[in-house]
Amino acid sequence: MSDPGRARPLPAALLVTALVAYPFLDRWLQAQTVHAVTDAMIYVLLALGLNIVVGYAGLLDLGYAAFFAIGAYTMGLLNSPVLGSPLYGHAWSFWVVIWIAALVSAGLGVVIGAPTLRVRGDYLAIITLAFGEIIPVAIRNLGDITIDIGGWRPVERLNLTGGENGVNPVGRPHLPGVNFDTDFIPWYFLILVIGAASLWAMNRMRDSRLGRAWMAIREDETAADCTGVNPVKTKLLAFALGASFAGFAGSFYAAKLQAITPGAFEFNVSIMLLCMIVLGGMGSLKGVILGGMLITLFDRILLAQMTFLVRWIGRSLGVAVLASVDLTLWRWFFFGLGLVVIMLIRPEGLAGRRVRPPAADVDEREEALALVTAPPRPRAEALPAWLREATAARAGAAPALEVRGLIRRFGGLIAVSEVDLVIPPRGIVGLIGPNGAGKTTFFNLVTGLLRPDRGEILVDGASVVGLRPHAIVGRGIARTFQSIRLFQNMSVLDNVLVGEHCRLHASVAGAVFRPPSVTAEERRARTRAQEMLAFVGLGDKADELAKNLAYGDQRRLEIARALATEPALLLLDEPTAGMNPRETDSLTELIGLLREEIGLAVLLIEHHMEVVMAISDRITVLDYGTRIAEGTPAEVRRDTKVIEAYLGKGYEQELASP
Amino acid sequence: MSAGAGLLELQDVHAYYGNIRALKGVSLSVSRGEIVTLIGSNGAGKTTTLRTVLGTVRPLRGSVSFGGRRIDRVPTHRIARLGIAQSPEGRRIFAPMTVLENLELGAFARADREAIPADLERVLALFPRLRDRLQQKGGTLSGGEQQMLAMGRALMARPEMLLLDEPSMGLSPILVETIFGIIRDINRLGTTILLVEQNARMALRVAHRGYVIQTGRIVLQDAASALLHSDVVRKAYLGEK
Repeated sequence: MSDPGRARPLPAALLVTALVAYPFLDRWLQAQTVHAVTDAMIYVLLALGLNIVVGYAGLLDLGYAAFFAIGAYTMGLLNSPVLGSPLYGHAWSFWVVIWIAALVSAGLGVVIGAPTLRVRGDYLAIITLAFGEIIPVAIRNLGDITIDIGGWRPVERLNLTGGENGVNPVGRPHLPGVNFDTDFIPWYFLILVIGAASLWAMNRMRDSRLGRAWMAIREDETAADCTGVNPVKTKLLAFALGASFAGFAGSFYAAKLQAITPGAFEFNVSIMLLCMIVLGGMGSLKGVILGGMLITLFDRILLAQMTFLVRWIGRSLGVAVLASVDLTLWRWFFFGLGLVVIMLIRPEGLAGRRVRPPAADVDEREEALALVTAPPRPRAEALPAWLREATAARAGAAPALEVRGLIRRFGGLIAVSEVDLVIPPRGIVGLIGPNGAGKTTFFNLVTGLLRPDRGEILVDGASVVGLRPHAIVGRGIARTFQSIRLFQNMSVLDNVLVGEHCRLHASVAGAVFRPPSVTAEERRARTRAQEMLAFVGLGDKADELAKNLAYGDQRRLEIARALATEPALLLLDEPTAGMNPRETDSLTELIGLLREEIGLAVLLIEHHMEVVMAISDRITVLDYGTRIAEGTPAEVRRDTKVIEAYLGKGYEQELASP
Repeated sequence: MSAGAGLLELQDVHAYYGNIRALKGVSLSVSRGEIVTLIGSNGAGKTTTLRTVLGTVRPLRGSVSFGGRRIDRVPTHRIARLGIAQSPEGRRIFAPMTVLENLELGAFARADREAIPADLERVLALFPRLRDRLQQKGGTLSGGEQQMLAMGRALMARPEMLLLDEPSMGLSPILVETIFGIIRDINRLGTTILLVEQNARMALRVAHRGYVIQTGRIVLQDAASALLHSDVVRKAYLGEK
């Protein structure tokens, strides 16, 4: 009755009509639910803001109610006629303060976000939890401030926040001809407008360069960093934007309630908001709206109604316990029970992305062929023209990579010791060595995931030591990972689009308002991604989730994502591990073709000797972090040290035998 | 070749893995004392086959029996106690625990606690590299050492049967040789082995018999040496032109 229409995929016009008609219908029926529904919408708005942080960026925030408090108190302090602090006296207009509240909350979002950037998971949750506790305590204690410096009291008994009593009254909005004083309906429409505008903005943010960056960070922060996404900026934007919606919700709440107390912003509010998101489906706007509505309305309307019902039954049957029951005292019990049941039945939430039903069987003909068919061979004609253009400018004479005297220790262990390595332009260099020789550590040093203790890393003649991974991607170095690290729960197309992130320019405002330049850029990016997928043979799988791809396809997608960053040098960490010989051949061809066509330089860690020996110009061999050999494949293959440490005696026989 | 009285018997097993119908009637049998290898491309159903044996994937149809007893509805931890151990793909070792603790955990379910020290000795004899690193945390081992640890841990359960999923993946050529040598040694000491491998050449050299799986069906089965010389296998899995 109250508002279930929002969750159903009704045509938009019908939905709008229902939302507009609802309060008048409610009045006509004398149901008196508008007040509760309006409050529910405040919580929905909060949950939507929290969803940016938790659902999109994957940062578990247990103290989100603090931003709600900040928003409410900004309104309370600037728009209250009574309190005695210097801020009071002239109440500011609601219409101005609501924007200030959003800005203040966003600012505090950055302040709380900044120190937590290096932590994730449990640690981040604890820090945000503490922040959520600090704010109400601070508000309580700022109601009576006395600064005493040896008897001199510059500030005495200053009441900044109203302390435990809070702020009362808070001014209402003024709009000619609209009665905000005694009627709930204008409030309903106001929050409806705020909510709809927020939803519109969030929807656009999600489907933008920024939205993809959030999800990439959520899926795999390291991989996102190595694909050119700045994790610091991206996470701070999530905190700030998420908090700004709490600012709107808080200031609206303060003005509607006309009084605020610190008790309204405690930990349980943060938890309830999280419950709404989890119940509805993390990351799904529709789901969060549904979850928020269900929980608040259950609390505000259903529990009270049921209490009456149960009492009536109790009185009729003469059961004293039932007659005096108050179900609203059991609200947390019912919340908990409901959440447990939902999580058991639908762990992805009410409107979360459902695991798709089993796909249709593979075509039998296709199957018959599969035994002898090879994966698609890379073709030069399919190479996207934009990639050619983007890399054409880089016909420089400087080495693609020049590493001198690189050293990295882990405690007492020297993982990489005085390693030199040069990759000429268009060069393909193999990096081989026993497991644990320091090959992957070397990659991590070059891509900025680790800092060298000593040594030089020059890209195109300029040092990249000390740059963050995403900045190094910007300099033209892309990589893949030993164990595939795709953004699993994003589409294949989105994975490539994240690769293009560092070559795109859309800002937050651009993402929301979509000026022609942004629309054009986004359209171009999608075309490019589609072309890239066609090139690696994944053109028909653009909409699949990355995790649903077969293993070989995942490997190819990882390369496509790396190529989308327009690199001059590609680092491949065991690209053919787990591939069958045919897939391996196809990949070897791909690497050769990229060098031929766009002059891509490659550094290749690989244990498949037929690959390394076939395509490397030169090979560097590491053992215990030191370079034990360097030379052409033919030289390295005969090197006794290499045979002893790495290839093994059997390798020679392997070459000779079938 | 596939006698009815194998130690492990899969009969017409159909199974889904996620959304994909991964197995469409797989039948295979492993006799006591054998090394049997299952080769095939990525996504052909090799790992799913192992999972139906361990009970982490349940067959929709068909049966899995071990030592004459149906196990396709037995809980995974109990299957482990029946004498099947596995060394999973991707070397899933307990990274924050020491090598010794990892090995000891392998023997967790055993009743004959007094025999454990002797088995630890046996495992360390097979993998001398692990002896040097007993107090080191599992996560700090190199890829090859983690592979050895995963196999060693599986052996600590003193299984009648060992399931190996891609033991050579990501290992250097010299270590691949070592690992396959160890697989042979383990088998000589009396453990039956089902080996899933990408590296078909090495697998077929060490195995007695082999099955080729393709999109969820067994398409070939024969003595390993015969498969090694079959045209289809050479073309599709040994990378010969």
